[in-house]
Amino acid sequence: MTLVPGDDAVGGALERVGSAGGLADVVETVLDKGVVIDAQVTIGVVGIPLVEINARVVVASIETYLRFAEAVDRLDIAPDEGEGLSGLLGGVTGAVRDVTGSVGDAAGTVRDLGRS
Amino acid sequence: MADETGLFVYGVVPADVEATPDAAGVGEAPGEVTVIRHGDIAALVSAVPLDAPLGRPADLRAYQDLLDGTAVVAPVLPVRFGTVVTGPDAVLDLLRPHHDRFAAALAEFEGRVQYVVHGRFEERTLLRGILDENPTAAGLAEQVRGRAEAASREPRIRLGELISQAVELRREAENRRLLDVTAEHVVSTQLRPPSHEMDAAHVALLVDTDREAVLVDALEEYAQHRRGLLRLRLLGPFAPYDFVGAHQLAG
Repeated sequence: MTLVPGDDAVGGALERVGSAGGLADVVETVLDKGVVIDAQVTIGVVGIPLVEINARVVVASIETYLRFAEAVDRLDIAPDEGEGLSGLLGGVTGAVRDVTGSVGDAAGTVRDLGRS
Repeated sequence: MADETGLFVYGVVPADVEATPDAAGVGEAPGEVTVIRHGDIAALVSAVPLDAPLGRPADLRAYQDLLDGTAVVAPVLPVRFGTVVTGPDAVLDLLRPHHDRFAAALAEFEGRVQYVVHGRFEERTLLRGILDENPTAAGLAEQVRGRAEAASREPRIRLGELISQAVELRREAENRRLLDVTAEHVVSTQLRPPSHEMDAAHVALLVDTDREAVLVDALEEYAQHRRGLLRLRLLGPFAPYDFVGAHQLAG
């Protein structure tokens, strides 16, 4: 996870990504988009070899379910209270101030889990 | 049969668009990007060898950079990546029969660009929230806690399925919220399928360039509001990839 430490941004909860986005972003943005020229109808369209890129992600499968369960398992052994949250923040100190609002809620959840 | 090279077609633009000398095309040895005009419209093209595979990351980036660079100065209709024709005549054959339709579509995109908003749930906050609200899931979580996967496979799958369903509901809600928040600032919206299981929202927005700043402000406010629950990224400005609909399919 990349929380951008807002050196210039005031608040800066929204992460701006210009054209220098990751490859995954590029693939999602441009593949299978745009005007389609039907090679059956239009003379002069040639087939060229395309490097195969599989951008499809299955978001509901047994593997997904097991990953979710695994993530829940990790939750349970995570330390109580604030410590889990500092892990969540990944030590990005610049961002700590900004998430203070949500710390209370999440800490409450941690306590509930700890009791159950 | 065709000779060694073909013309890679990037997109359709108004006829007054000029290719900048620094515009780089696709391919290992990128050809010069040129403009082939017909009436009020034109195509951005560059020569590519017909036997070398395209689609390397650098090719995708070159394609996107050219279209996005164009989109901020002039309307552009992206043509699907990988469209290659035999030569200039074939480009004209492509433009001629669709001239009016392309021209009308370009007029529609005048002064507009696409942005993409992509939100990702914060995993721990999300899971804790779901377990809090769903006693069945919380019970299953107890059952699998600390047990090896092989010994708890069935409850794990049931737990995972419940969570998956809950995530999906939250994703729908999140997408709705995002569309509500942006509605008054955009021309059109297009929901994108999730590309990751922790995806919270994924929406393409068509925006008038004079509304960009207001949109960014609204999204920033929204990101602040949802902070801790999800991380919001704003990508763009882009060419209108998601708004070139099937009706613009050129036969």
